[in-house]
Amino acid sequence: MISTLILGIALLIIGFYAMLTRKNLIKIVIGFSIADTGTHIIIVSLGYLRGKTAPIIDGAVSMVNAVSEVVDPVPSALVLTAIVIGLAVTAVMLSFIVEMYKKNKSLSIDDYQELKW
Amino acid sequence: MVSPIYILVLSLAAGFMLSIFDKGGRRLSLTAFYGVLTFNLAVMVDWLYRLAFLHAPTLVINTAGFKAPISINLELGITEAFVLLLTNLTGLLAAVYLFKKFKESRVSSLILYLLLIMGVNGLVMTQDLFNMFVFLEILSISTFALTVLTKNSKTLSAGFKYMIAGGVASTFFLLGVVFVYYFTGSLNLGFLRAGQFTDAGMIALFMLAVSVFIELKPFPANGWALDVYQSVDSGIVSVIAVVNSAAIGFVFYKIMPLLPGNFLTVFGIAGVITFFFSNMMGLKQDNAKRLLGYSSIGQMGLLLASLVFTANSPANIRYLIIGGLFINHLISKAGLFWLAGIVKEEKIKDWTILRNNKPLLVLFGLFIFALSGLPPFAGFWAKWEFVKVLVDAKMFFVLVSVLVGSLFELIFLFRWFTNTVKEANSELEPMDPPGKGKAFSAISFGLLAVITSFGIMRFFYEFNWIQVLPILAVLVITLIDSLPSKVKGFLSLAALAGYGYYIYPLLESNLQLFFGVIFIVGSAVNLISTLNRKEQSKGFYGFLLMMIFSFGNLLIASTYLEFFLSWEFMTISSFLLILRGQKAQRASLMYMIFSTAGAYLIMAGFSFAPALTSSSALILAIENVNLPLISIIALAIGFMIKSGSLGVHIWLPEAHAEAESDVSSFISAILLKAGVFGLLMVAISYISHSPNFDVFYWIGWIGVLTALVGAFMASFQEDAKRLLAYSSMSQVGYVVAALALITHLGWVTSLYLAFNHMMFKSALFIAIAGIYYRTHTRTMYKMGGLISRMPWTFMTVLMSIIAVSGVPPLSGFGGKWLTYTAFITKGWYLQAGVLFFASGISFLYLYRLIHTIFLGQLKYEHQNIKEAPAWFIIPQYIFLGGIMAISMFPNLIIEPLNSIAMRYFSSSIQINGLTVISDLGYWNGNLVMYVTMAVFAVPFILLMLVKGRTQRVKQFNIVYAAERPESPQTTHVAHNMYAHYRKALGRLTLPRIQTFWNGVAEWAHTFGGFFRRVYTGNGQTYVLHIIMYIVVIYIVMGVR
Repeated sequence: MISTLILGIALLIIGFYAMLTRKNLIKIVIGFSIADTGTHIIIVSLGYLRGKTAPIIDGAVSMVNAVSEVVDPVPSALVLTAIVIGLAVTAVMLSFIVEMYKKNKSLSIDDYQELKW
Repeated sequence: MVSPIYILVLSLAAGFMLSIFDKGGRRLSLTAFYGVLTFNLAVMVDWLYRLAFLHAPTLVINTAGFKAPISINLELGITEAFVLLLTNLTGLLAAVYLFKKFKESRVSSLILYLLLIMGVNGLVMTQDLFNMFVFLEILSISTFALTVLTKNSKTLSAGFKYMIAGGVASTFFLLGVVFVYYFTGSLNLGFLRAGQFTDAGMIALFMLAVSVFIELKPFPANGWALDVYQSVDSGIVSVIAVVNSAAIGFVFYKIMPLLPGNFLTVFGIAGVITFFFSNMMGLKQDNAKRLLGYSSIGQMGLLLASLVFTANSPANIRYLIIGGLFINHLISKAGLFWLAGIVKEEKIKDWTILRNNKPLLVLFGLFIFALSGLPPFAGFWAKWEFVKVLVDAKMFFVLVSVLVGSLFELIFLFRWFTNTVKEANSELEPMDPPGKGKAFSAISFGLLAVITSFGIMRFFYEFNWIQVLPILAVLVITLIDSLPSKVKGFLSLAALAGYGYYIYPLLESNLQLFFGVIFIVGSAVNLISTLNRKEQSKGFYGFLLMMIFSFGNLLIASTYLEFFLSWEFMTISSFLLILRGQKAQRASLMYMIFSTAGAYLIMAGFSFAPALTSSSALILAIENVNLPLISIIALAIGFMIKSGSLGVHIWLPEAHAEAESDVSSFISAILLKAGVFGLLMVAISYISHSPNFDVFYWIGWIGVLTALVGAFMASFQEDAKRLLAYSSMSQVGYVVAALALITHLGWVTSLYLAFNHMMFKSALFIAIAGIYYRTHTRTMYKMGGLISRMPWTFMTVLMSIIAVSGVPPLSGFGGKWLTYTAFITKGWYLQAGVLFFASGISFLYLYRLIHTIFLGQLKYEHQNIKEAPAWFIIPQYIFLGGIMAISMFPNLIIEPLNSIAMRYFSSSIQINGLTVISDLGYWNGNLVMYVTMAVFAVPFILLMLVKGRTQRVKQFNIVYAAERPESPQTTHVAHNMYAHYRKALGRLTLPRIQTFWNGVAEWAHTFGGFFRRVYTGNGQTYVLHIIMYIVVIYIVMGVR
């Protein structure tokens, strides 16, 4: 659990770093995507319990002992929703970039500072 | 009864179906779209009614056949229903506003809009944290997409910045949610307890809270929001600023019970800081929508602060503060954004075209007034109660920030308003007529503002109708505004008589009666001069009556709030009257700013005051109130701003000079007395409960110096009205100084001077109004010799200046006698000396006034002018009659004043027949009159006898030696008359106070300009701000 948690946090930091330092709009979105993935990994890692199995009741896990044998299913359920939402946000961002490029022929975030103060 | 879950169901279903409906024509999909929005609203109306009036229990909706925490549940209590009613209403009206856009755009925008509204409803009702995240994302994604409803490079880049900022915030939110689950094992708000969060759990809670907070746009991590406000289509922006913010604010409200005290305090202070800085930065803004953005952010900060800092207040007060601020923000901000879309002008200075559409201009004013927190709108009541809460909790830093921030906001809003109404604009471009939907939405919110104001006054405070009368007067006059001006004038006089008849029995003491005479009778006589108005004067009488009724209501106000309400009504109406003047833009703005600063001081002063124990009028009840020192100081400064004391007087000459001539007399003769009345109220409490620090000693000095400086300034004016304005300042200085003596004789003097000033200054201003009416100039050296053309007016001015100057036999002499006696008896010798000197100076300006206008050569262009119209002459002579009466029979006034002052002090004078006897001597006004008449008669008769031997010189019987000067009047003695005195005074005459206030204004603007540089326009910088903000808040909160 710890190792995946560290991995998740590392991805999160890498993602934010990319968002803060890359000038290219697409790279910023990639940064966001990496951070998002980091978040998802953190979520999953939080639900993981050492030595337990997937929360699916079948031959391997009996109904009676389920609570003591499976990992926490809630984070797994949450992460699915989070992934979908992350996908949607990324898609909207990318579609914005397409339109922005069409209008201004630039992918540098420095060229979009018209509105300020 | 429909379960609110159908709001979510129907919105989703309609969202999917709309694209199919659209195949059957846009009409069909639009019908479905508006149908769903109306349905949402109807459900909420129904539920709010049930919850509030039928006392239905909070509705809990379980989903998926399980109870929480196994499944997600929704809750609809009265708070949720209230918020959702207003947000759905705004959502519907914004959609109506956008009707044309929605008709033409792709069907996807309809779907997005429905999803946005659904997200709001879900966010407010859900009790599950993860579900909250989902709704937040639905809300955000649909908002992102809707920002480009009008697609251009500005909206695209603003939308992109918004997305990356929102993305970062929601990442933290998600992490917070998951960690909360990890540490507590629950996601349901109903099952989470503050105690469950220990150690690392705190970090989870912190992430959750701070990410919601970031979504609420705290300074300085909010640059992205400003860009959105500035660029995005007005209809959508109104939703983002109001509906989205409300929903996210409500999320914060829901998680608040989990947060520990130190978190809340930091968030509350961050809210106040946001409010303060947004409004300060707003000062430099000239783009209308961006300005509204600054104001929106500020308002949300204030709302957050009020959420945090009212936590320990009684429930009804808390609801009034938060609900009031919320509804006020909702109405005025949405309304202004909609107007911005109708006006279609980016720059504030181009809003002048709104003058082409009077109803919209009125609506604009209404929203501006509401947003500035002026009565009767919801924000006023919320602010009043909030200040009280802050004072009771001793949160002075918050108090000061809130008040100063509010003042900044008022400044930029009123600059915008006065600019729109008055900015000289040679050619007004015609304005596109607003679409029906747009106008409908804006007008609906105007009505909503009126209804809520009425509701609060009627049901929360249960005010008597008399307190609402000033507003009613405006409404009634507006209804009959198409009548000729004269008819309205006479009706107003009748209304005034009726009002006087009504409040007369309510006046419990002679003191009230005395001020009643000044306020009501004085106004009635002054009103006669307005009957001369030829043009329609739309709106004039409404505001005039509003002002006079507010004066009267000050007398009978029996609580601090009633008093303050009337005070604010008075300020608003007088501001609007001053604004009517042709070049009054700057003057009225300055008046409003100073008055509001004073009003805030008064509000704070009342908040510091202990509760009243008696139900009689405030001016009487205050006797038994022990005002703390800070309250006395705040109130005294507040009232002295209104009476134009030195240091805070700079609004006074401008306002008097630039107001219409017949308005100036009201302002000078009566409005300034309201300040005196307030100061007297403070003094009454001070007599029996004086604190260690002798406040009134210093007030006395301020009064004395005001008298001196005012007199000097008056002497150097070329403009007759400015001269009289400074003279008013000087005379009220005497009144304040005498009042500050806090002795029997001092108060008799003070009230005597106040009454005298009311009469002669009314007469003088009306006289000048008559002269201006004939000559069209206020510059004195352009007149001269008018004695032959306007003898009646000359007589008024002559008598009045005798009454001012204090030479026998007129009432001023008695005033001076009383003044010196009172000061010497008190032992204030130096002050008496200065006042004596000031009286000498007043001869200078009085002489200048009468000499320059009436004596000397008649100007060529004035050869044929006539005497002022009778409507001007009548009130002048009524006042002259009054002056003659109290000069001849001083007992008429001295006796009542003696009895008024005896309520508070033992009498220091005896009245023996027609003689007033003090410790120092006696004064027989009657005798003085006869003696002076005799002294006058002797040379007069002599002169009459020699009349035949004089030789008349024709006016132009003068030959210039070599050449004719360009403007001959500047060579005349009357021009720059006292230049030598000015020279002698040297550096003393520099307008230091003016310079000081200019400096203050400039500094505020410079700071605003400096701080807003953080908004570089770069999306990455904004992300950095957010991350740094989180780190800073983390450190400040000391989370471990």
